[in-house]
Amino acid sequence: MESAYNPRQFWAGKSTGAEAPREIYADKQLIVLRTSIPPGIRFAGEIDASNSHSVGTSIAAGTGPERDVHVDVSSLLFCDISGIRELVTAAERLVAGRRLLLHGMPSQLETVIRVVGWNELPTLVVCECGTD
Amino acid sequence: MYAGMADFLGGTVPFVRGGLEAGEPVLVVESAAKIALLRAELGPDADGVLFADMAGVGANPARIIPAWRDFVVQQGGAGRRLRGIGEPIWKGRSSDELIECQRHESLLNTAFATGDPWWLLCPYDTAALDPEVIEEARRSHPYVTDGATFQRSNTYRGLDASGAPFDAPLPEPSSSTQAVEFRAGNLVEVRGLVALNAASAGLSSSRVRDFVLAVNEIATNSVVHGGGKGSLRIWSDLAAVVCEIRDSGRFDRPLVDRERPAPEAPGPRGLWLANQLCDLVQIRNFPGGTAVRLHMWLKAPAGRGHQHDARTIDSITFG
Repeated sequence: MESAYNPRQFWAGKSTGAEAPREIYADKQLIVLRTSIPPGIRFAGEIDASNSHSVGTSIAAGTGPERDVHVDVSSLLFCDISGIRELVTAAERLVAGRRLLLHGMPSQLETVIRVVGWNELPTLVVCECGTD
Repeated sequence: MYAGMADFLGGTVPFVRGGLEAGEPVLVVESAAKIALLRAELGPDADGVLFADMAGVGANPARIIPAWRDFVVQQGGAGRRLRGIGEPIWKGRSSDELIECQRHESLLNTAFATGDPWWLLCPYDTAALDPEVIEEARRSHPYVTDGATFQRSNTYRGLDASGAPFDAPLPEPSSSTQAVEFRAGNLVEVRGLVALNAASAGLSSSRVRDFVLAVNEIATNSVVHGGGKGSLRIWSDLAAVVCEIRDSGRFDRPLVDRERPAPEAPGPRGLWLANQLCDLVQIRNFPGGTAVRLHMWLKAPAGRGHQHDARTIDSITFG
């Protein structure tokens, strides 16, 4: 049984067409794009043990060293513990004073972060500011 | 061991008062009805006692040891003595729940084998429970009291056996099953199958989401730690939707599913998460590998409110 969900179609449906987003990573269930406002990256699709390795490398590839890292997770339909662990690790790798800001947190990710006790980490910030 | 409410109060009230008189923190985890009874009997002394509703804390019995651990860590220390009362077994628990409650009672010996000077009283209602349940209570507890006498249980299975790998048989599924073999590459298919079955069984959308999350983590454990692959079956009846994951691995720590992971600790968190999100989790070591069964109730089981009922206590904080 193949998943009916196609991240490419999902993205196409959300795009405004104003500018072509740059693809950093893609597989059959996940696509990662560079965003310009705010400067950062967007995950769309599903993250699990098959592709969570791409989270850290995408963040490293898609963001510069000089500012907070903005990660739009509003189009993530699923993210397992290993994917969130990658986000946590990426946040911990940031130099002092910088933060990893998660935008548009789906409730499923909030559940994982709360249950495994990662909601107290100071470098990982859940932004209430919307997804833009 | 008690028979009826008067007997219950006769055994528990002196135990609570003894703790209060000695300046020991006391936590009582009982049904709302028994808490009300105890409060009335204790009068003003009840203000010095911590109470928590077992229907919330112990709906899934694997959440009880972490709650006691929190109590001991937060209220104890420096040799301070503590007391607790916990009654996770009541008439009306399903057979799957009962066996996991009994496993919990045994694992309490393992969880608090060293170091912590505290005294836990586990009331068993001999008037309401089957004789086999009382027999098992004698095997899982080193000491037994009936209020009048306090003696060593001569059938106690001992500390080593209390934490031994659990291989109690699992009953065959109660209805027809759907199955899938999985590895890292098709976990997305596992999630689809689970979501579809759980939603058709009537689980609410937020509980479908929790169930998918838990099943995905247990299947991921099979992929990462249990031989790289596994097999999954899912079925439902009027009471619950149940998912079973089997792999060729082995659980080698008896408390593997009920140790709260420190935020910074490496290592898997799937079993912990499953116990927080599912109504019942059964883990087994069989000769050929492991089995994990995750249960989500479709309605509140008899004798208690639903676990997501706002009136129940899902977690305890001790001030």
